[in-house]
Amino acid sequence: MTELTLHINGEEHEVDVDPAKPLSAVIRDDIGLKGTKQGCSTGVCGACTVHIDGEAQKSCMQMVGGVIDDEIQTIEGLAEGEDLHPVQEGFVEEFGLQCGFCTPGFIMSATSLLEENSDPSEEEIKQAIHGNTCRCTGYTKIIDSIEYAADALNENESSETTSPSD
Amino acid sequence: MTDNTDKHAVGEDTPRKDAVGKVTGKTTYTSDLDLPGMWYAEVVRSPHAHAKVQNVDTSEAEEMGAVCLTNDDVPDLRYNERTISLPEATFKDQTVLTDHPRQVGEAVAAVAASSKELAKAAKEAIEVEYEVLEHVVDPKEAMEDDAPSLHDTVVLDGEELDIENNIATEREIDVGDADAGFDEADVVLEDTFKTGRAYHAQLETKSSVCRPDPNGGITVWPTTQTIHNTRQLIGEIFDLKLSDINVKKMPLGGSFGSSIQMNSVVPISVALALEANRPVKVVSSRDVDMYDHCRYPTEIRLKIGATEDGTLVAAEMETLTDVGSHNIQAYPFLGVMGGFVASLYNFDHIRFNGRAVYTNKAPACAMQGFANPQTTFAVECMVDEVAEEIGIDPLELIRQNYVGKGDTFWGQGPSIKSIIKSDGVKELLDEGAERIDWDSRQPPSEKEGRFRSGIGMARGVHTSGTGGPVPGEAVDYSGALVKINEDGSVDLVTALQDHGGGTLDAGAKMVAEELGVPLENVSVSPTDTKNTVYDVCTHATRGVYAGGAAIHKATKQAKEQLLEFGSRLLEVPPDAILIEPDPENGDGRLYVEGMPDKQISIGEVAKTAEHKNWGTVAAVVSNRQTSCPPAYSAQFVEVEVDMKTGEISLSNVVLGNDSGTIINPTPAKGQQVGGFHRGAGYALYETTTYDDGSGQMINANLADYKMLPASGMPKNENVESFFIETNEPSGPFGAKGIAEPCINPTAAAIANAVYNATGIRFTEIPMSPDKVLNRIREKELDGVDKQAVPANDD
Repeated sequence: MTELTLHINGEEHEVDVDPAKPLSAVIRDDIGLKGTKQGCSTGVCGACTVHIDGEAQKSCMQMVGGVIDDEIQTIEGLAEGEDLHPVQEGFVEEFGLQCGFCTPGFIMSATSLLEENSDPSEEEIKQAIHGNTCRCTGYTKIIDSIEYAADALNENESSETTSPSD
Repeated sequence: MTDNTDKHAVGEDTPRKDAVGKVTGKTTYTSDLDLPGMWYAEVVRSPHAHAKVQNVDTSEAEEMGAVCLTNDDVPDLRYNERTISLPEATFKDQTVLTDHPRQVGEAVAAVAASSKELAKAAKEAIEVEYEVLEHVVDPKEAMEDDAPSLHDTVVLDGEELDIENNIATEREIDVGDADAGFDEADVVLEDTFKTGRAYHAQLETKSSVCRPDPNGGITVWPTTQTIHNTRQLIGEIFDLKLSDINVKKMPLGGSFGSSIQMNSVVPISVALALEANRPVKVVSSRDVDMYDHCRYPTEIRLKIGATEDGTLVAAEMETLTDVGSHNIQAYPFLGVMGGFVASLYNFDHIRFNGRAVYTNKAPACAMQGFANPQTTFAVECMVDEVAEEIGIDPLELIRQNYVGKGDTFWGQGPSIKSIIKSDGVKELLDEGAERIDWDSRQPPSEKEGRFRSGIGMARGVHTSGTGGPVPGEAVDYSGALVKINEDGSVDLVTALQDHGGGTLDAGAKMVAEELGVPLENVSVSPTDTKNTVYDVCTHATRGVYAGGAAIHKATKQAKEQLLEFGSRLLEVPPDAILIEPDPENGDGRLYVEGMPDKQISIGEVAKTAEHKNWGTVAAVVSNRQTSCPPAYSAQFVEVEVDMKTGEISLSNVVLGNDSGTIINPTPAKGQQVGGFHRGAGYALYETTTYDDGSGQMINANLADYKMLPASGMPKNENVESFFIETNEPSGPFGAKGIAEPCINPTAAAIANAVYNATGIRFTEIPMSPDKVLNRIREKELDGVDKQAVPANDD
């Protein structure tokens, strides 16, 4: 066991764990953030996707000792209070979820994509969610949700740049 | 057809009530649950496909502080984890922990300890001595006289039943005289179809938490489609009073049938919690989950006879189903296979012989569609071929022969029958054909080049619930409590489970519609077995139809009471009062047409009723549906086959459903596309594969178990879906079921499209690229041979 400091959702968390423990297990069991799901623990299903320094990563494949210097964001860190992140809004508005178990992982992959590419094509969206498995939806509404978010983010941006400050 | 124009909730698209919890990660699933003082379980599982446990040494694990259980420490009652069917149709052959593992991965011992790490170490410290027995993986070999016997006896309706040649059960169904039917036929086709051993792959693995309660009894939080059946079975196994067991309904991270039963981890969590006298949590790893259940793989020999005028006269089906290590519901499965042959087409003569056989593999259980995707794959592929043989359009053959309005439907087997009262099949065929441009379809002989396109279709049907005028071999009723609060908001309390499709949102819409309250005032309560009346299970496409009907009935009764109280306050007869949502005060409003002074909000009625000591406006009901109306589907698919690699890609799909009134439009579309997606995976990739020598599954992980990825779906704009909204008189607001007809025809639609592209009829799924390529090469060689040998009369 080693005492480590993790930076998660803008807060510091002290944990006393084996540095080889998967980040997903630390996030869930030691820090208690249960929004990061575990579907396979072998880096396939993507339910555990988080941001590590802004990049979507499968947290079950990261040893916690390797990410102590990084800024980690989980699904719990996306909304600002009651205000959902536009990607979360997209999944609500476009019915991009059913059972919801894979949803946090998809949202983390999608937010990371839209940071890099504000107007992705359908192909680029499919590429970005390639590492996430959804067994319920058949993916079409997930793609609609991400496109909705892209439009919302672009609208926000254009209204911020064109409207006079008040 | 249904007219929803005067509705404010039913048929409206509104955000899901559970959406915010799910997009923020705040929804708590079983696997997320932590309780104070909770211990963690690990399960020792057999590495052998067939063995007897000689000795289990738990001493070292116990010295580490773990609680350990073996077969000797748990009740020896044999049970069946699924309890929907009546006792005479429920074969019992399982125990909580076994001393005779019949498959790799079967639980032989269990530990609980204060941390996950300690539990893992304790599990490793347990030593199990096995006497390895001969195993059998192939169902045909399993029936041979010298094959190892998995179960010498099982229990059926309280009696020991001998099992011979590993035959778990058989079922024969006869309608008319099949031999005479084939004599009448001008065209008789016969073929053998094989379907894969697909895995549910629900994203949340099966899990359970059990807590002994301070005043006696236990509380259980399981992954399940049925809290009440789970409670009853725990009571039976552990000899506990049902009132001492509370099973909580949890959000379910997908199921697709995998939790139709009390999952095997549930009694393990109970046994450990009782032994440790503290809460214990069991979460299955993915590989363990993959050894827990699968779809019933079935070999189907099918023969269909038709007359030249396009009448399907006779069908004969002989099936061999591999049930794996335990018989969960093979008897109903076979009944449903025969039932769907009879409920797809009006054959005057049917002979069905089904046989289910034990093998040393994961036990098969319900998976979306149950026996229907297997049956429909065979029947709809052959019907396409019959149409070609006779020389008529398959759509015309379907129109002439399908089981529709006025006919008897018995998809759930011969004991569950009702007369069909709504049917949108012809409209489904017409609209689907128009959208896919069916008339532009060219025969396979016109196709050439490396990439060949083809269009195919298949029709699906599924039951809505398992009710009928006279109850059959399955229990089928639901319950609900609807309670109007003192501010006019409403609590909907039901044991009905929602797998994620939006069943409970549909229920809330029915409450809002019937009562005349705004939808946002209806809240779906968290529930458990102590505060709800019985609901059998969300299965058999019964959630909206049968669960919804109970909700609707409770709402109507609560409304009667509301109107009676309103009548006292407004001083008019109850039948003079109307109710509608009042956007101004965000409540429902009772009013009398043309009398503006006669109005009062629902909240005021409820509050005044409290002040006057009249009581709560509420009603609780049990309701059984006396029909099992078929929900219909038609799926049209355009594929492109790469003749060089054998890969099949999906270019266009058109998905049509008749589910009666659509209560919840976009989530209903979600069912159409999701069902198609899983069906396409079943058709193209999915199967769990076993090594004969070791009995191990060779793809027991999600990397090697291939499903259809997002990139395997057509472009979004090429995934079209539509509804033909018939009005089902027995359904709540005219609704029927939606889920399972969305997967039943998919494999056949794709196979028929592949035939149209290549001229090759695939009778075995999954149609993986290697198999496709083999068939393409065979055909090419065949063509070369034929060219090389001149015909005699040339």
